[in-house]
Amino acid sequence: MTISRKCVPFTPFERELSKSTIAIVTAGGVHLKDQEPFNIADELGDLTYREILPDVDSSQLMVTHHHYDHTDADQDINVVFPIDVLRDLEVEGFIGGIANKHIGYMGYTMQLKAMYEGTAREIANDIDKTSRADAVVLTGG
Amino acid sequence: MKGIPTVLITVSPEVSAQMRPPRALYPKGFKVGNSLGLPGMRELQKQVLRDALGLLTDDTRPGSIKTIEYPEYGEQYEPPRVRKSAA
Repeated sequence: MTISRKCVPFTPFERELSKSTIAIVTAGGVHLKDQEPFNIADELGDLTYREILPDVDSSQLMVTHHHYDHTDADQDINVVFPIDVLRDLEVEGFIGGIANKHIGYMGYTMQLKAMYEGTAREIANDIDKTSRADAVVLTGG
Repeated sequence: MKGIPTVLITVSPEVSAQMRPPRALYPKGFKVGNSLGLPGMRELQKQVLRDALGLLTDDTRPGSIKTIEYPEYGEQYEPPRVRKSAA
């Protein structure tokens, strides 16, 4: 197997989960119904991302992504964006809380450099500076 | 920025492994579009998320992907493979 030279840096986690806030970042093309959909007409992909707040009604979320079958996510967004599941784990005390911001983007692009050096960094900075997340769960489609 | 700890839930472990994710869970046989399981299966979804978050406190090795089977998911799917480039 070929390993990319652009590996993901390892950041230690030195907290207790039960006292930690968690954010979700998904490449599954998740966004609010009243947010601009991702541009699936652009064959190069869409480099933008959408912010999703923690009090979101999950029934108001949808998927715009044409590179996987999101029929199941259309029924229950939690299969790719587990916001209600996180809420359950918070009630259980398994985690401490839900971060102030979550992110959806469309994880298909032919513009890899722009995604890696642009969008991905913007998302990381956004989460780092404004979400108060102690850790992030990443999901694809 | 010091960085934020991450954990990945992947249904394409071979593809994800190329980036050596710091921590990753592969729910075995889940198809693309079912990272947490099937619609409405909240108990399964919670278990997958607990297992993923649990990797944050485990002694994980970057680049390794933990595979867990969830029989309640039902039918198993073959994950996407990395395309072999021509020699």
